[in-house]
Amino acid sequence: MSELRRPVPVPDEASAPYWEAAARHRLALPRCSRCARLCLPPSSICPSCHSTEPDFSWEELEGRGQVRSWTVIRQSFLPGFADEVPFVLVDVELDVQEELRMIARLLDGPDAPLGVGSRVQLGFEDLPGGAAVPAFELEADS
Amino acid sequence: MSGRFSAHGQVAIVGYAQSPVVRHADKTLGVLATETARQAIADAGLEVGQVDGFVSATLFPTAGAHAAEDGVSIVTPNWLAANLGVDPSYAAGFQGMGQITGSVSMAVNALASGAADYIVLHRALHNPPGRYHENPMTQAGGSQQWTVPQGYFGPLVMIALLYNEYVQRYGATREAMAQVVVEARKNGARLPWSYWHDRPLTAEEYLAAPLINDPICRFDCDIPVDGVAAFILTSAERARDLPHRPVYVAGYASGAPSRARLPLHWPLDDVQEVGAAMAQRLWASSGISPAEVDLPQVYDGFSPFVYLWMEALGLCGEGEAHRLVLDGGIDADRPGTLPVLSGGGALGNGRMHGIPQMLECYLQLSGRAGDRQRSASVGVACHSSPHFGGAVVYTSEPS
Repeated sequence: MSELRRPVPVPDEASAPYWEAAARHRLALPRCSRCARLCLPPSSICPSCHSTEPDFSWEELEGRGQVRSWTVIRQSFLPGFADEVPFVLVDVELDVQEELRMIARLLDGPDAPLGVGSRVQLGFEDLPGGAAVPAFELEADS
Repeated sequence: MSGRFSAHGQVAIVGYAQSPVVRHADKTLGVLATETARQAIADAGLEVGQVDGFVSATLFPTAGAHAAEDGVSIVTPNWLAANLGVDPSYAAGFQGMGQITGSVSMAVNALASGAADYIVLHRALHNPPGRYHENPMTQAGGSQQWTVPQGYFGPLVMIALLYNEYVQRYGATREAMAQVVVEARKNGARLPWSYWHDRPLTAEEYLAAPLINDPICRFDCDIPVDGVAAFILTSAERARDLPHRPVYVAGYASGAPSRARLPLHWPLDDVQEVGAAMAQRLWASSGISPAEVDLPQVYDGFSPFVYLWMEALGLCGEGEAHRLVLDGGIDADRPGTLPVLSGGGALGNGRMHGIPQMLECYLQLSGRAGDRQRSASVGVACHSSPHFGGAVVYTSEPS
């Protein structure tokens, strides 16, 4: 249907460690050295304590969390996703910090049983060119 | 800010013009805006040379790969002034969410401070050729690297996640939302300028529409259009000498969430918490209480905003709007209801942003609504989301 490929992330200085870790199927997030809070997306100012010198350190974390909301994408405005629909996007609150949210695809498919509070764990989708994009899967025992 | 707005009742709307709302106009957006502005100025009983202020917001709200070109896909205040042949003393654009209510706040401030005497406030919206939001990007940098590679793109996804949170928390049904959209289209069908003139929608048609981004279907989204509206604002004092009954600005407020979020992420808790604070500022600035409002006009560019605004304004309790709607509580043809979409909204007019809400407040409170005329004296016009957009309180009397 579409000749266009699925969009790949273009890392920048602030995001390079995130995408480098993702390529290894690991979740890395920046932690502020002033208030010790994590943030996503990476920012030049800490969104928690507003320090302009957050001196972030990157930390590898376990990506488990609970679903806060979700939607089934049956029509995408990105032609590169034309062959992927229908797919599910989940809004996940990570266990590692209150209100730390990630939004990514749920790899279990559009018929997976989902509810607010469903437990998910991080997975990854490999894209052409060596990049990998975070995604979620329902926890096996949930 | 604390207490009542010091410019309360000092600024008024004194005239307007609304172009036909169409899918694709047969003239450029710039021509449409210039003609509409001239009509509005004449409607207010003024000459073009008397206008010395221009305010607008120029966001081109597409996620697609369409260029924002002045006079073609957007019309800035300076472009309009130059093409009307006016050298303005004040020309400024509002940058932010809640473009219409934000523009009104800037116009009110400029008039109350004496920066301008007569202001044209316009909004020009364009529907470009091709699909409105489609974007052929194959790489995502900047803020889009956090959303696009996952297929998380465009405003529908943002609204779908927000609305599903509401659905899951409060048990809202598609049957209830059908009543929202049917009400907007019923009222829009009565407006000669509306894209949906004479084209109401039935609940059956709504319920038969396939979902695009669950639980959103196409009827939950306003349709992209070419259209321009313009209003003339001046001081209450100058308004006395003009032909139409003035409609006064009692106060305004806007939302400003402090929590950092991913792009396009509007969680329900943010909307409710920040929206409630926005509403408190609105009542404080206007000196009006929710019970005094007899013409609430909530924003509906995406249908779930209707619930969120009704609840933020305190017209019903949190999580209760969908039940009230299902019980016929927003049917503007029934006495004793909340006529929140009597002006058709964006769902019943086309993607005119917060213009239908502002226009309905103006027409009803100035007594210019013709055979749609209602008995009303206090209106509220809302735009965007309660937590990022804003609202303006209008009154038929200065205080």
